[in-house]
Amino acid sequence: MTVTAPLLEVEDLHVRLRTPRGTASVVNGLSYTVGAGETVAVVGESGSGKSVSVLALLGLLPAGVATVTGRALLDGEDLLAMPADRLRQLRGPGVGMVFQDPMTSLNPVLTVGRQLVEGIRAHVDVPKAVARRRAVELLGEVGLPGPEKAVDRYPHELSGGMRQRVMIAIALSNSPALLIADEATTALDVTVQAQIIDLVQRLQADHGTGVVWITHDLGVVAGIADRVLVMYGGRCVEDGTVDDVLERPAHPYTRGLLGALPDLAVARADGGLPDLATVPGTPPAPTDLPAGCVFWPRCPVRADPRCETEQPPLAHVRGQSRDFGPSLAHRAATWCAEDGGAPGTTEEDR
Amino acid sequence: MLIGVSIIVFALIQFVPGDPVRLALGTRFSQETYDALLERSGLDQPVLQQYFTWSGRALTGDLGVSFRSGEPVTALILERLPATLTLALAAILVALLIAVPLGTLSALRPRSLVDRGATVLSQIGISVPDFWMGIVFILVFAGTLGWLPSGGYVPLTEDPWGWLQRLIMPAIVTGVVSGSVITRFVRSSVLEALGQDHVRTAQAKGLPARQVLSWHVLRNALLPLVTVTGVQLAYLLSGVVVVEIVFAWPGLGQLALQAVQARDYPVLQGAVLLFALVFLLVNLVVDLLYSRLDPRIARR
Repeated sequence: MTVTAPLLEVEDLHVRLRTPRGTASVVNGLSYTVGAGETVAVVGESGSGKSVSVLALLGLLPAGVATVTGRALLDGEDLLAMPADRLRQLRGPGVGMVFQDPMTSLNPVLTVGRQLVEGIRAHVDVPKAVARRRAVELLGEVGLPGPEKAVDRYPHELSGGMRQRVMIAIALSNSPALLIADEATTALDVTVQAQIIDLVQRLQADHGTGVVWITHDLGVVAGIADRVLVMYGGRCVEDGTVDDVLERPAHPYTRGLLGALPDLAVARADGGLPDLATVPGTPPAPTDLPAGCVFWPRCPVRADPRCETEQPPLAHVRGQSRDFGPSLAHRAATWCAEDGGAPGTTEEDR
Repeated sequence: MLIGVSIIVFALIQFVPGDPVRLALGTRFSQETYDALLERSGLDQPVLQQYFTWSGRALTGDLGVSFRSGEPVTALILERLPATLTLALAAILVALLIAVPLGTLSALRPRSLVDRGATVLSQIGISVPDFWMGIVFILVFAGTLGWLPSGGYVPLTEDPWGWLQRLIMPAIVTGVVSGSVITRFVRSSVLEALGQDHVRTAQAKGLPARQVLSWHVLRNALLPLVTVTGVQLAYLLSGVVVVEIVFAWPGLGQLALQAVQARDYPVLQGAVLLFALVFLLVNLVVDLLYSRLDPRIARR
């Protein structure tokens, strides 16, 4: 992880959606970077704005409903400001995307091969036969058994895991510089999930692809990510390297998330299962975000008078120096970073 | 299925008031001629026996003889069939030409001016009585403007131009009604197809907008459209009675109506049986088409 110009640089991204209940501020000033070959995990509960924030980058939100502002530089080109046709050219070769539900993300009436071929031919002017050969190769690459036959299959003839492999093959078919996986393994069972993660990591190592991995599964995060970005209420509340965020969480929300992971070791020692810790309450409605810190209505700490009135900036966690550069910085947006005794925020940080 | 329909048809007609023999003979007749006709038509037999005689013959294509004209019912129906087929197919063509572009446009821009306009138009199309629209058409295009003949039918083989001229108005009138219904369907099925995840996948692949629309949206919206078009076609094939009468179109609907008025049981039974058969056939074709269009059904 050397400090070069990042592959993707998102700056102050705002997404507002028009809903029947008023304007929803779904993403509020999100900034992050992804380097080539780097994996950034975006975590947060449902409704925290994770998916919307990436769909907005590719202009995949329904026009007329969504308003997107900010900047998103992919190799220096602003995805949010470019003409529609240029953006179309970048969908695929610039950014490949894998969606959450493999059961519905493929067109049921077209063969897998056709769906791959049309994606390839949308960007490279090659004869159908060549694109088809490439499709077979790709299916083999993502580990689909019998790719020569699978290419003529319809999605309903494949299992969920196989369909997700097809989705990955489609996303990779134009060798994207950046791969965005939006809850790509959430709908799959654990063994298939592990295979898919393995596959993406291998492909990433081979092609040097930058990866944005959206998930709410912290186990997956620990396994694949270089850096983690924790989203809450459409904001980044904490980001840093996977070690910093998972081992030394600074934000009360991150600590709550980590605390909610069941500890099976404890359970076995006691002979019974302990109660699951939860973060009480529900995320704020994006139509009605609280003033001050977005998390304060659910926050167990609330140690600062500013919590309810003033929005905390995303600041470097104490003990961190700016000299590490953006890829190693550990930042959190909270007034209460030092309270509550986060595990391990002691000597090794200083 | 067809047997059930034949029983129901037969039973229903038994309940229709009025004595067909009396009607056939006119106002002045003797008891002898009445009895003779009653015996010849088989109406003096028990109802159950009448049914079996009739349905047995129907299986061989013999639907009996018209009480009124004495012609075989099968011949009467076959004579009317080309006219009805022509009108139904032309009307469905008009309907699709209206419905597919209009429904798609309104689905692509929901709540836009086009969408609202289409909604109003199709509401009008559904609610305006077709006989009224037919009469207005005749008054305007045949009367005031004098562009088209007001009605009638000539076979295509005899006079292609006259055939077309006479076909235009009834086809448009029936097509507008069917088209209005289909427009609503197209709009909702395109809207549904647009919201599907795989359309987003297609966009994320960087496909040109036109390709996304044709192969991912419309291709999927086609499935429900086939069903509703089939239902409309079956309805049109069983004769659009009112429009046929307004335009003096010698189709099956007209035949059936005349049969009702004359208590001409054999003709009426034959016509209704044919409508049922048409309905079954169209549904069969729709099912076959469906399995061609949707691989999920084909492989089952």
